[in-house]
Amino acid sequence: MSISLLHTPDGVRDIYGRELLEKEQVGKNLMTVLRRYGYKNIQTPTFEFFDVFSKDIGTVPSKDLYKFFDKEGNTLVLKPDFTPAIARCAAKYFMEEEVPLRFCYEGNSFVNTSELQGKLKETTQMGIELINDSGPEADAEALSLVIEGLKACGLKDFQISVGNSSYFKGICEAANLDEETQLEIKAHISSKNYFGTREFLKNKGLDKDIVAQFEAISKLYISDTDMEEMMKKANNPKSVGAVERLLAIKALLAKRGYDKYISFDLGMLSKHNYYTGIIFKAYTYGVGDAIVKGGRYDGLLGKFGKEAPSVGCVFLIDELQTALKRQNISVDVDTEENILMVYAEEAYENALEQANDLRSQGKNVTMMKKNTEKDADYYTSYGEKNEMKEIIFVK
Amino acid sequence: MEENGKYLVFALCKGRLAFKTLELLEKIGIHCEEIKDKDSRKLVFVNEELKVKFFLAKGPDVPTYVEHGAADIGVVGSDIIMEENRRVYEVLDLGFGKCRMCVCGPESARELLQHRERIRVATKYPTIAKDYFFNVKNQTVDMIKLNGSVELGPIVGLSDVIVDIVETGGTLRENGLDVLEEICPLSARVIVNQVSMKMQNERIEQIINALRESIE
Repeated sequence: MSISLLHTPDGVRDIYGRELLEKEQVGKNLMTVLRRYGYKNIQTPTFEFFDVFSKDIGTVPSKDLYKFFDKEGNTLVLKPDFTPAIARCAAKYFMEEEVPLRFCYEGNSFVNTSELQGKLKETTQMGIELINDSGPEADAEALSLVIEGLKACGLKDFQISVGNSSYFKGICEAANLDEETQLEIKAHISSKNYFGTREFLKNKGLDKDIVAQFEAISKLYISDTDMEEMMKKANNPKSVGAVERLLAIKALLAKRGYDKYISFDLGMLSKHNYYTGIIFKAYTYGVGDAIVKGGRYDGLLGKFGKEAPSVGCVFLIDELQTALKRQNISVDVDTEENILMVYAEEAYENALEQANDLRSQGKNVTMMKKNTEKDADYYTSYGEKNEMKEIIFVK
Repeated sequence: MEENGKYLVFALCKGRLAFKTLELLEKIGIHCEEIKDKDSRKLVFVNEELKVKFFLAKGPDVPTYVEHGAADIGVVGSDIIMEENRRVYEVLDLGFGKCRMCVCGPESARELLQHRERIRVATKYPTIAKDYFFNVKNQTVDMIKLNGSVELGPIVGLSDVIVDIVETGGTLRENGLDVLEEICPLSARVIVNQVSMKMQNERIEQIINALRESIE
């Protein structure tokens, strides 16, 4: 036995006890909400062929994927992102299906991020994909789910930033920008680097109107009046459509009083290139990153041979749990049925009978032989520490 | 939103940059007397009235604190932002602390930069240097990471050239080195945590706009 065997690699961790119970409970609370909207579970493999997550698909960059080979020499990848996997799966089994498909999933994803940043490489995710639905109602449904899901977890203070990637694309197309320039502008805008954007555009010698439109997106906060202003300024149909879409979604959410959780951010541009329409991220206090991410990906299923407009989102369970903990929001874990039964050695048969009786009544019974050198307090404190509702001593 | 009970936390770079930043913040009405006391051994300085906290950190750590949300706002040189490559919003150029990131070396090394030769580059900024040589110049180079007095590299024969910050060029000239190529201009920047930007938007935007007005 060597003590160095006890370590786990950077970016993965053991979870047990109360923490795991709470994590599972958070998952259950979310799943209940997803079920209410008619989402059906789907399970895809933990690893798939590299091509499902390649650059062409537009997910996590290739250098951040865990890759290995099968016996025939194919490159395999540990799933970094559920959406392409479910898109592939949906295209395969529901190729001819035209009605909207609602899938939900839960599982772990693996991204080989850089070392020493205190970030997890294996994260638990739960999410939905709504396939075959192009309407603003679908977008609003995804957002409503996020709001209700977060509320079901006990979160009160949160904000969802909503952007629309086709606004940016519209301007780029109207200005005829090449891909490299687009990427450069995207980098500046998504880091809210207003002066960087301005400097870069100035050096490019672009049309004044275009520069003004890009500058408008890098604004920090966008009100409804700003949105209307931007719609007027945008002189291409794609960008105008993008703003109209956002306003339509907000109007739908307002009917349920959910619009207060939403703020617009047209400068939010995801690194995932498959997003074609709205993009959103939910934030709360206590964690440095989003707790929910999502968006519309109308072209993704097409890569797998099925043209199907879709929208989806993912709850990042680990981040969400950290946020709940830091905000002192308790997660109610069901321990009602837990019983610790401590028996004297000679009373084993009697105890076993009682335990089996209780088990058949639906109780969870942990049996423990009493160590004659320990007193009852020892077992009481053990029971309290281990989520036991009741302790029975059998003599 | 419950913004009232929450402190806004600033992470500042230890040294000259911190004093200039504090001066600027004072101009827009955010002050902290505690931090000026040079004998103080405190690590975190608080202004209860304004609900702001300040702490001083080593430069390269400032983006780390901000990325993780341990600080909401940071002020740091753009060299560090580029080198650390953290996910933060870079919202304002404060315009001071101006200098340049350059490739420097003896005049004789100029030739080595012309023909995609494999050369040795010593630097405190391997990420910036690598990005410049690999992606801008398409030159494959061997990177040697040093932690200070980088100018020594070419002088003692450790490397052919160096990549470093140049302010006046005085140290370089005294040691027989020159600026061979300029990589980019640098200055002090305000960075903001991405979540804070959403959750405490009003407060942060107010500060940034006030700062912007006071420097323009």
